[in-house]
Amino acid sequence: MDVWAQLLQGFQVALTMQNLMWCLVGCMLGTAVGVLPGVGPAVTVALLLPITTKVDASGALIMFAGIYYGAMYGGSTTSILLNTPGESATIVTAMEGNMMAKRGRAGPALATSAIGSFVAGSIATVGLTFLSPLVVELGLKFGPPEYFALMVLAFTTVSAVLGESTLRGLASLFVGLAIGLVGIDNQTGQARFAFGVPQLLDGIEVVTVAVGLFAVGETLYAAAKLHAVKEELESWSGSVWMKLDDWKRSFGPWIRGTLIGFPFGTIPAGGAEIPTFLSYAMEKKLSKHPEEFGKGAIEGVAGPEAANNASSTGTMVPLLTLGLPTSATAAILLSAFQQYGLQPGPLLFESNSALVWGLIASFYVGNVMLLVLNLPLVGLWVKLLAIPKPQLYAGILVFATMGVYGMRQSPFDVFLLYVIGLVGFLMRRYGFPAAPVIVGMILGPLAEEQMRRSLSISQGSWSIFVTHGISAFLLGLTVLVLLLPFVMRHLKKRKAVAG
Amino acid sequence: MRGPPGQVAIGAGIAALGIGILAGAFFLPAGGGYAQVGPGVVPRIVGVLLIVAGGFLLREALTGGFRGVDEEAERHLPMNWVYFAWASGGIIAYGLLVEHLGFIVASTILFVMVARSFESKKWLLNVIVGFVLASAIFAIFNYGLGLMLPLGLFQKLVS
Repeated sequence: MDVWAQLLQGFQVALTMQNLMWCLVGCMLGTAVGVLPGVGPAVTVALLLPITTKVDASGALIMFAGIYYGAMYGGSTTSILLNTPGESATIVTAMEGNMMAKRGRAGPALATSAIGSFVAGSIATVGLTFLSPLVVELGLKFGPPEYFALMVLAFTTVSAVLGESTLRGLASLFVGLAIGLVGIDNQTGQARFAFGVPQLLDGIEVVTVAVGLFAVGETLYAAAKLHAVKEELESWSGSVWMKLDDWKRSFGPWIRGTLIGFPFGTIPAGGAEIPTFLSYAMEKKLSKHPEEFGKGAIEGVAGPEAANNASSTGTMVPLLTLGLPTSATAAILLSAFQQYGLQPGPLLFESNSALVWGLIASFYVGNVMLLVLNLPLVGLWVKLLAIPKPQLYAGILVFATMGVYGMRQSPFDVFLLYVIGLVGFLMRRYGFPAAPVIVGMILGPLAEEQMRRSLSISQGSWSIFVTHGISAFLLGLTVLVLLLPFVMRHLKKRKAVAG
Repeated sequence: MRGPPGQVAIGAGIAALGIGILAGAFFLPAGGGYAQVGPGVVPRIVGVLLIVAGGFLLREALTGGFRGVDEEAERHLPMNWVYFAWASGGIIAYGLLVEHLGFIVASTILFVMVARSFESKKWLLNVIVGFVLASAIFAIFNYGLGLMLPLGLFQKLVS
């Protein structure tokens, strides 16, 4: 079957009344949690995982995906109107967009980011549609050693490339791998690190870890450390009108931002921060008004906003075609698939083609919904920013504890949530990224499975990972990714000495 | 050579976690099966990785501090232990009380305590908002999604 037929089949799934409704719910929830500080898409999807027992797979996954890319739309609204960035991927928008708002140009800033997100999201979905079948074909040729090598590469890029410190990223990853070890080994039935505690035999739930690190850790940090920081909400007339000049200046950055963001999302490097910075730097270089950058240039909002949306859609390529999550939310989406007994990867495109293509088709629909939600209706979401901080964080914690306690009605989970929250607090305080923990705990057990499968093929010989060409290449690439920063630093030093 | 105590503790803590996992891994079989790789192999690897990462973190902490972490800027954001205790107490109280007092009462207490940790002293308002929010969540998740949240104090009223 060719792509068009499959996409058509996907639209038949996505356009049923029920799935349209799930898509709308997802987009609205996503926009809301994107706008609200203190809660993000990872926590929201994690808290909603219990609905997988009530809702069919396509409905639930369409909604979860809507939350994921919807949060990208909503996040920019907060960054523009509030002087504190909501998510790391919107730091650049927070600089430039907030300056525009300060100069009374909040309307065009909101408009260019919403339309730019739509343009980028739609083009990236087209990319997802046509790239996925190609990657699937490649993935079908992979055996256990290739998958293992691919996962090792994904681990490394997710933790080492992103963030300010390779070392702290890797430390976070290893902690995540350690969390993933707890529970019954699914190949031998051996209990590991459960210390005879029955609640630990099932393993530590991703819900508890995600909610603990992101919601509880963030709340403790905001309460204890940020009480002196005052937030200012910029005034805004309520109009989102863009002048002809704004359109002209936005169009190029939208397209260029998309072209930078999408590839970054698809290679297993995840994260939307780097492409936003690249796009910002590029627009500054190309602009006829470089002096406006830092004071509120519309290009500096349009480009990065397109880049972060394109990259978040791009992360769907490795997730769906190879089962590789490259961000915290993607990792939780993977565990949503697992709740249904599904494993994303090339085989899913054959065994559950209607589901996968329905999900992909829902991205086209969702982006149209989000454009409406975030352009004419943006005023409604801005009202969420008026919720005072004490009641906002208190409400977030009521939801957080409910989700964790409600899983199996065990107070043990609440105390575990608090302990993980303390860890999250320390990670925030000392600059450890949280995403590698989530990716490590979910992808870790899968990597272990592939590793042990490979070794049973080779009858215990570790050389299988280097005698297989693709696997050797991927592992070599991993070493390169790890060593590159050191080599670069060394070269810089030599250059400085020579100069 | 002395580093920021918090950073030193974190480096040491991660290394200690690695030592613990490595020690635990030796009680797990490493061989067996066709793969000749038992459930103990990956824990050994993870243990070693944590020890190495902890060691490097300790070295950074003792030689000028974690790279990119600005301890000077942190001093401008002083830690408020009172607020920290209010938020922590709210979660711990929830864990202790939820089975006895029920979801709605425990959530209301949590709401009020967390709001207090953000300097809100509007006690009555927070009790009301917390109670209404918790009741709404209870209704939606218990009757809509089939979660089994405890009624606690309200059990008698219903039955």
